[in-house]
Parts: sequence; C-alpha cells; structure tokens
Amino acid sequence: MSTNLEEFREELEVCFGTSCGLCERGCPVYQTMKIKTLSMKGRNRTMLGVLQGKLDITPALVQATFECTLCGNCDRWCALKNTEHTRSFREYLLKQGVEPMKEHSSLLLSIRNYGNPWFQPRSARTKWTRGLNLPKAAPNQQEVLFFAGCTSAVTKALNRGLVASTRLLQRAGVKFAIMGTDEPCCGSTLLRVGQTEEFEKLAEENVRKFESLGIKKIVTSCPGCYVTLKKSVEMNGSKIEVAHIAQETATLARDGRLRLNRSSEKMTYHDPCHLGRLGGVFEEPREIVKAVAELVEMPNSGYESRCCGAGAGLQSAFPKLSRDLASKRIAEAKATGATTLVTSCPFCETQLRTVPGIKVTDLMELLLDAAEDIEKSASNNRRQPSG
Amino acid sequence: MSYIDELVSVLGKEKVLTDPSERFVYGADWSPRTPDEFVPPDVVVLPRTTRDVQRIVKVAYAHEIPVTAGGGLTGMLGGAVPIHGGIYVDTTTMNSVVEVDPKNQTIRVQAGATLQEVNDVVSAYDLWLPHQPESKWVSTVGAAIACDNDSTFGVRYGKILNCLLSAELVTGTGEVVELGHRKAHFTSSGYKLKDLLAGSEGTLGIVTEATLKLEPIPASRRVDMLVFPRMGAAVDYLSRLLKAGLCLEAAHINCRRRLNFYTHSYRLKYGKDPEIPAWAEALLAIAFAGDPQVVDQQREHALRIAKEFEAQLVEQREIVDAWWASKYTLDFEPFRQKWPDSQKQKKFGAADPGVPVGRLEEFYHKFVEVAEKHRLEIIGMNAYLEHPSSIGFSLSCAVFVDYRSPDEVRRFRQFHDELSKLAVAFEGTMSTFMSDTYQKAPYMEVEHGSSLKYMREVKRLFDPKGIMNPGKKFPREVRKE
Repeated sequence: MSTNLEEFREELEVCFGTSCGLCERGCPVYQTMKIKTLSMKGRNRTMLGVLQGKLDITPALVQATFECTLCGNCDRWCALKNTEHTRSFREYLLKQGVEPMKEHSSLLLSIRNYGNPWFQPRSARTKWTRGLNLPKAAPNQQEVLFFAGCTSAVTKALNRGLVASTRLLQRAGVKFAIMGTDEPCCGSTLLRVGQTEEFEKLAEENVRKFESLGIKKIVTSCPGCYVTLKKSVEMNGSKIEVAHIAQETATLARDGRLRLNRSSEKMTYHDPCHLGRLGGVFEEPREIVKAVAELVEMPNSGYESRCCGAGAGLQSAFPKLSRDLASKRIAEAKATGATTLVTSCPFCETQLRTVPGIKVTDLMELLLDAAEDIEKSASNNRRQPSG
Repeated sequence: MSYIDELVSVLGKEKVLTDPSERFVYGADWSPRTPDEFVPPDVVVLPRTTRDVQRIVKVAYAHEIPVTAGGGLTGMLGGAVPIHGGIYVDTTTMNSVVEVDPKNQTIRVQAGATLQEVNDVVSAYDLWLPHQPESKWVSTVGAAIACDNDSTFGVRYGKILNCLLSAELVTGTGEVVELGHRKAHFTSSGYKLKDLLAGSEGTLGIVTEATLKLEPIPASRRVDMLVFPRMGAAVDYLSRLLKAGLCLEAAHINCRRRLNFYTHSYRLKYGKDPEIPAWAEALLAIAFAGDPQVVDQQREHALRIAKEFEAQLVEQREIVDAWWASKYTLDFEPFRQKWPDSQKQKKFGAADPGVPVGRLEEFYHKFVEVAEKHRLEIIGMNAYLEHPSSIGFSLSCAVFVDYRSPDEVRRFRQFHDELSKLAVAFEGTMSTFMSDTYQKAPYMEVEHGSSLKYMREVKRLFDPKGIMNPGKKFPREVRKE
C-alpha cells in the first residue's frame, strides 16, 4: 500500500511529455484558484521537479500539495493515477520530515486518543442509537454489520441519516448489528493526509476485529468509510463484502421490500467523490431519487461531478477555498430548477448546507420519508369510510 | 525597489508568485523537450483586469524585464515558454465574459477564457465559437490568437482570425489600444492592424480582451471517412466537392500511417487493427452539418461523386468514431485517454508547413525521407483544410520523439527546421498552425527575405524595448546603451 514517489517517476515524465492539461477543466481547486501549480499537470510537474532535485520543499510547495480534495476528477481524462500521485506526495513530504498541517495534526491526535477525528468521547458514538433497539455485534451472532462512521455518529445534525439508514434496514427485515462504542475509525483521514503507515496499522486492526465478530458484510452510509473499508479488507486479504447503504437500499426497493411514495418534486443529486468517481457507485442513488421524486441532473454529474470542497482535509486547512467550491456546486444545483439537493455523504451534506439557497437532504432520509408516507396514506385510506 | 517588489505593490501579494515551486510549472509547454528543459520564469503574475496587465507591462518597461504571456501552455513549439526568464503573465485568471450579443452573433470576452469556456456560455444562445483545436478545453482565446493554431472546422469557418472582429492589446510600453472594427463583421477602413495579432505570439503585446464572431450551432452533423489509392486523389475529390457547391464542415486527409495514430483507441477497445484496404494510401474524413435533410442530401451527393475518384467508404463506424473522438468530442472511456496511452515512451512532435496544393504527394515523400534521415519514427502526415470553402490546407508532419533522449530531441528539432525550410523551397510557408517561436527565429529570412526588416519595424513600433516575449520570431536584441 505504502508507495514510494520514485515509483511514479515514469508517470510524472509521461505527464510532462504529454502536457495536454485536460485535467484542468474538471479540477475544482484549479478552476477556483487558476494557479497552474494547483492543477494536476502542475502537481505532476512539481513532483517531477522534486524528484529531479530541482525544487526544495518550501512552505508554498507543502501548502499546494495539501490544497487538493483528492476528488479524482483529474483522472477522468487521463490514463495516469493522478489522485494517487498527490496522496503519495503527501506521504513523501511527511517522510521527509515535513510537519503535518497543524489542522491535520489535531485530527490525527484525536483519532489516536478518541478513535474518531473530532475529539469526541467514544460514548458519543452511540447517542444516535437511542430508542432504536439495535443489537450490538457479538462473535458469530450476525453476518451484517452496519458501520455508522465517526462523522455521522458524533455530529448531531447528521444522526438523522444514520437513524433513517437503520430504520430502512429494519423495515425491510434485514438482520444486522452495530459495534456501538467499539466501532473504530476507518482511517480515511489518515490515508488522505499522507499518514500511510498509521493507516495500515489501523486497517489491519480493524479487519481483524471484523473477522473475529464473524462479519460477512459491512454496510455503511459514509462514502469515505465505504472506499476505505473496501481498501482495508482488500489489503488484508479478507473476503468481507463492503456495501454503501445506497446500494443496499436500492436493492431492497427493487426487490419490493421497501414500498415508496413518489412525489413530483424536482430534485438533483450530488455524487460524493468517494462514492461516485472513487467508489464507482453512480446508479443506485439515482435509482432511489427517481423512485421517490423527479430527478434533474446538474451539468456536471456522475463521473464529472464537481467536488463539494470538503474532502481530504481541505475543509479544515483551507476553509475559504473549501467554501468557494461549495458555493459553485450550490449554484449549479440551483440552476437546474430543483428544490432539493440530495446527497449521500455526511461531509458533502454538512459542507453544502453551509451555503444557503437550496434544501440539502440526505438520500436515506428522503427514502425513509417516502416509505413512511406510503404507510401513512395507506392507513388514512383504511380509516376513511368506503364510499 | 526591485521590479518584483514593484509588482507586489501595484498588484497585491496574492497576484504575484515568487516561490520556486510556484514558478517551476510554468517553465514548459507541450513541445518536445527533455524533462530537464524546464525554463521557469523569475516571477509569475496573475492579473484579473486589463488595468492589471497594463501595470505589469509598465513595471517591466521601466526595468526592461522580459514579459511572456501564456494561456493553457499547450503550445507545440515553445511559444509561451519564457526562455529569457523575467515575468510570466498567466492570463487564465482573466476569463470573464464582458458581453454576449446574440443578434449580432458576437461575444466580448477576456482573453484568458478557454475556447470551451466561451462555448459553455454561448451555447445557451444556440451559438458556438467554431475555432476548435484539439486543445480547446485548455487553449485560451488569447493563446489561439497569438499562436494562430488550427481548427477542426477550418474548411467552413476558417481559423481564429476569421472569428476575430476586434481585440484589446496592451503594447510593450503599457499602452492600451483597441485593434479592429468593434462589433462590425468586417471593414474597409484603415490598416488591418488586428490581423497582425494572429500568430504574433505576444511579441507585440498582450491581448486582454477580444470580440469574436459566433455561428449558429448546426442541428446535426454527419462524419464519414473514405479511402483513396493516393493522397492526390483525395485532394482532387475535395476540389470536386467544392466545385459541386457542397458546404463541407471539416475535411482532413490522413496518410495511411497517420490513421494508425488516430485509431489507437479503436485498437484498445477492439484489440485489433481497423479494416482498411491494403491499397488505401489516403484516408479522408469529411463532415457536413446543418439541418438533417440538407446534410443527408449533401452527404449522398458527396458519396456519389466519390466513385469517380476510386474512393471507398469506410463502413466500420468505430473507426470513424474513434477518429472523430480524438479530433473533436474527446469522449474516450475513462482512463483511456489517448495521449498517455499512445505516448508512454515517446511523444508527438510535428512540423507544420504549408505547400502548394498540387505538390502534396511530393512533399509527403520528402517528409518521410527527412524523418528517416533523422532516424525518427514516423507518425504520419495530415492535411487539414483550414480556409473557408477552399482547397488550401495546413500540414502536420508528425513523428514520435523520445523526449527522454536529448539526442533525439535535437534530431527532432533538425527535422523540424529542415522541413520548414523545404516548404519555402516548395513555394510554400514554414508554419500553418504553430507559429515561429524561438525554433524558427534563426532562419526567418528564409521565408520572409527583405520583408523581415518591415516586420522588425512593426515589432519596434509596438514594443520599442523588445521586452515582449523576447526570442520569439526574432532572436532577442540586446540594446546598446
């Protein structure tokens, strides 16, 4: 997993040799800042310059390296592993003795001490489960684990998404358990800010825990956890299946295990980078939105979706840039004429809510509402005297 | 106060980049060069307005510092590489739309907008800017003017100069002048100074805004490919189509070798070579666009005439689509983008001469001979019709260049120079879409002879201290005190 920048030298030279710059058009950071150093072509050139010994590691170079959400848009038109270059370069800089960005250091400290990046006690992880009667995972007592993820679990405003996710699973008759206060951090943050060794240790530990509980499948509502857990099980040779809640519930709806009320409201869907481009899940969330409302697409959607600006530590280290990206995305959503922007990632949801102008909803909350609505209307119909 | 301090004081700190890592990435474009050949500027500036550009040039003028302006840095011959250091003006920060006039079919835009950004805006009015090089996502309006690059749709709409009505220029003294005829589509008044800007490479000043003519978006388009036993037969056929009164939208002749390069994505997808008859030596791609019934009628007529020229229609649509994707839609499967795949070891390098129409085949053989002499792997030749409803073409004589080998890069440059000079001997021109840059600067008199002194005078008029993109078109003049 751990990569040496030298491994990418050939790719960096190919980028230099090609220099097409097609990566610039979709890069949210470059399109906001318009500084070539911040485009992928520029980043590849910078890395090449460092490898060639022509560039010293300066504060400006370090800052530019972390001014990226690792959203993967630059990989859209390119055969090179660009996002991985940037992630690796972060790791390289830290190995060269560069201090992590101070905002990132605190995240790392929190993961070490509290098992989540947000300085919340472990007990905070279970607040959302109150009244839900969710069983705690025990060795070989369950096959499916619902993995809440740190951010949604400890952030009150995001708890509703978790509640909706688990209610939907219960409603469809899925047997599952949660880990409660024992749920670990998936390590996504560590990986993306360049702390690869720490991540590898954590990933191994996590997979061992899941295996010891006899878990066969992990369902999570966080796209960051989704791609990171997938990577963790692959890296450690485990056969545990990892699914995002959108995939799981879309299947349940398709199989008729969730009955839904459909409205004519216009809604648009924002693909979270980790779920879409990096996780390859584009269709299932759309299937859900189409099942409950009228879906109108933004010009940049699916593979070309634009990052909300929250990812890979950008939100914590570069709040202004991060907010600019969110504003651009909200403007795109509003221009579709939709009244609601649906997304399926706690980071995107929080980030996009910081910009007023359109209602932002979690995909699972939307789905649960549609499921409950049909039940209400059915019971109303039963109460009404027949004609 | 140093000139960089002055730049900071007139522009503000956030618009001036001085860190080596920030400057480094501006030191190379798309042209074949070794990974060691980065020529970073001494400072990069990020103007937002014409006023900013004026401030920058005035500081440079006072201190006699070279100023090189650039856009997407996708030039194929080093036009925007700051070979003498100094100030690099990144114009891409100037990409605002000033005005769209749908009735007049024009847009006024800052010169740093990419050609695609222009089209993103004007498509809402059912209009488009038809100047479309393959680099349209990155190439800017200013760079298209300064480089006079190629366009896929040249045979119908011409190149950027056919779209350019007026341009605002910051000269080498920092004066702001408007060249052109405002929103009028043409003029018979005055000298056509605006035309000097096409291919000027920023040596006369920096274009900051431009008024461009737009065209209605055609409702449909059909692209076809035909194979011919000779390149000359394809030329004769095109001549015949124009005589017939057909309105071609695109016309590109590929030699057999060149098609292999363009069908790279076909081979990737289907794992086999496209079926092209063994006798075929030329492949002609043509497009018609407009209302479907008009397009169909024109296409049918064109295909009927083809029989007189021993041509055969390419039936495999995938070949045509692969070529069209590579030229225009750029719509490849994710991770199957052609450049890195096809250029992992070597990259594309070309000479861009123009020769008389009747001597295409003769020049093709010379191209092969010269490439072989310099031990360069041949990609092939492509003739693009780039003049509205006319047979004249630009030539791309392309080879693979192992850019990691200084010796091969040197041989490529010799090949480029030799073909450029040969084109003049053929009564043609050295350049049709890359301009001169530093590459052709040492032998400009081969083509321009005694007219070169008038060009120098024009340069002096706009740029008396020789600070604007020095070393391009003319070797840098060192001023005597």
